[in-house]
Amino acid sequence: MRRIALAERPDWRSKAAECGFGFHTIDDAPYWDESAYYAFSLSEIEHDIEAPSEELHAMALDLLDGIVGNEQQLRQLAIPEPYWDWIARSWRERQPHLYGRLDFAYDGNGPAKLYELNYDTPTSLYEAAFFQWQWLEDQLARGQLPAGSDQFNSIYESLVEAFGTIARGIARPFHFAAMRDSVEDQGTVAYLRDCALQAGIDCGTLAIEDIGVSADGRFTDLDDQVIGALFKLYPLEDMFRETFGAYLPRSGLQLIEPPWKALLSNKGILPLLWDAHRGHPNLLAAEFDDGGELPRGWVRKPLHSREGANIAMHLADGRELRTDGPYRDGPCIRQACHSLTGFDGHYPLIGSWIVGDRACGIGIREDNSLITQDSARFVPHAIVEETRGVLIA
Amino acid sequence: MKRSKTAVLLLMGTAPLLLSACDRSESAAREGVYTSVETCVAQTNDRNTCQQAFDKAQKDAAATAPRFANREACEASYGKEQCAERNDGASHSFFGPLMTGFFLSQMLRNGSPMSGFNSAPAFRDSNGGWQQPAPGGAGGGVYRSSAGNAMVPINTTADRAVTTSRSGFGRSGSSRGFGS
Repeated sequence: MRRIALAERPDWRSKAAECGFGFHTIDDAPYWDESAYYAFSLSEIEHDIEAPSEELHAMALDLLDGIVGNEQQLRQLAIPEPYWDWIARSWRERQPHLYGRLDFAYDGNGPAKLYELNYDTPTSLYEAAFFQWQWLEDQLARGQLPAGSDQFNSIYESLVEAFGTIARGIARPFHFAAMRDSVEDQGTVAYLRDCALQAGIDCGTLAIEDIGVSADGRFTDLDDQVIGALFKLYPLEDMFRETFGAYLPRSGLQLIEPPWKALLSNKGILPLLWDAHRGHPNLLAAEFDDGGELPRGWVRKPLHSREGANIAMHLADGRELRTDGPYRDGPCIRQACHSLTGFDGHYPLIGSWIVGDRACGIGIREDNSLITQDSARFVPHAIVEETRGVLIA
Repeated sequence: MKRSKTAVLLLMGTAPLLLSACDRSESAAREGVYTSVETCVAQTNDRNTCQQAFDKAQKDAAATAPRFANREACEASYGKEQCAERNDGASHSFFGPLMTGFFLSQMLRNGSPMSGFNSAPAFRDSNGGWQQPAPGGAGGGVYRSSAGNAMVPINTTADRAVTTSRSGFGRSGSSRGFGS
């Protein structure tokens, strides 16, 4: 795995505009960054990322039968009691899920280490599935990449296939919802809807804020239609706390991601995974936080922190790093500190996509710090089998 | 190869869409009843067609709405203050329900609408059900008034409920959104 500087495509901004990529620059800061790419060998991709992703995904799903009936674990995961039965039912019925992203620390040496599961509201999907793919095709065509370069990225094909698979069982009308004013989230649901339409599913979009409720507790769209199924790019745990949350269990609404994802998109799953598979090469030691002092070599993460917020890191050398954010209260976990490796001062985090139950691609976000936050840039990757000498030449 | 053979955008792209005609030929009808052009656009992403469908429905509404001799009879079927006096142009005055929405039907190929559409005014009866004028104006209509415009229920979106409250989700939000 190497980080290689490469000239940008001169026309990538106009291509982004043509393809609905409205958030390549966020708050005046670059988000899409193709001034470099990460080069992997096929073996690194297949043995170090793809295979472990599918294994960890299966391990996590295997825990669910136990968790849904285990009051202590449901409490450890901070699942509010009124939702227990509903979540359990969704898992017993194996309500379909669409996608998730495992985040790994990986540098080409030794096993990838799982930082967390983003299994409820993962983004950076469009840029991984589409724009990154287009970058590779363009740079191959321009002769800027070694001939035969490839990419671990069948995310698009997997999404269309997954939508096709769940199409028959999905309640209608089917809507995609995200926060009205979030350009990034709106871009992500626009892409997912695009894939669903290509799979032949008729579906619409709706702002999360516009969802209504009827007198008998069913959810409605702006046209007073009872929503059959809802893809919501909005955290389940926030829905639980908000005014309409109490209607969810009896509303008849089919959610994607389904309620059982609340058990996985929760850093509490990390200590449970560690307990069940202690010493697994892709897992970091983890435990529920008791609120005491954080020893050296450990990281504290809130159960529901997103975008690297409210992370406390006590490095082995004694340095302490801390990020601010909105998740100040609430339970945390501790995870053994395994720092990201720097590549020329950049710290890449590998996001490994699971669609359906298949590992189908990666997207890399790099930050200037050990903690990957919403300032991280998306940097494309390629699979390059050439020798080092050829690449440097 | 570890990457998709192709990557296609249907609606997000502004460039002309190229789809091979042979391997994807699924077609389907998209039908819906909408209370406004905006709700139609939210569902179909096709403002042009929504506007045209609305305009046509509005134009047809007076002619195809059921006719009642007096306001009371109309309101019995369509609810209080849901009826208006109309005139057929030959000084015959009557009462008919107000158009409360419009019906739109389009053929889809590979998820994208083909050219052309059918639209009709939609009326909501006092039970909350939706109806549209029967195609051809005759036969099989379950709602028939003295002046004879047959109405049929719209079944495509039968599951409706009066919304009593909105904005119960979203207060945890931020402008940066929630993806992670």
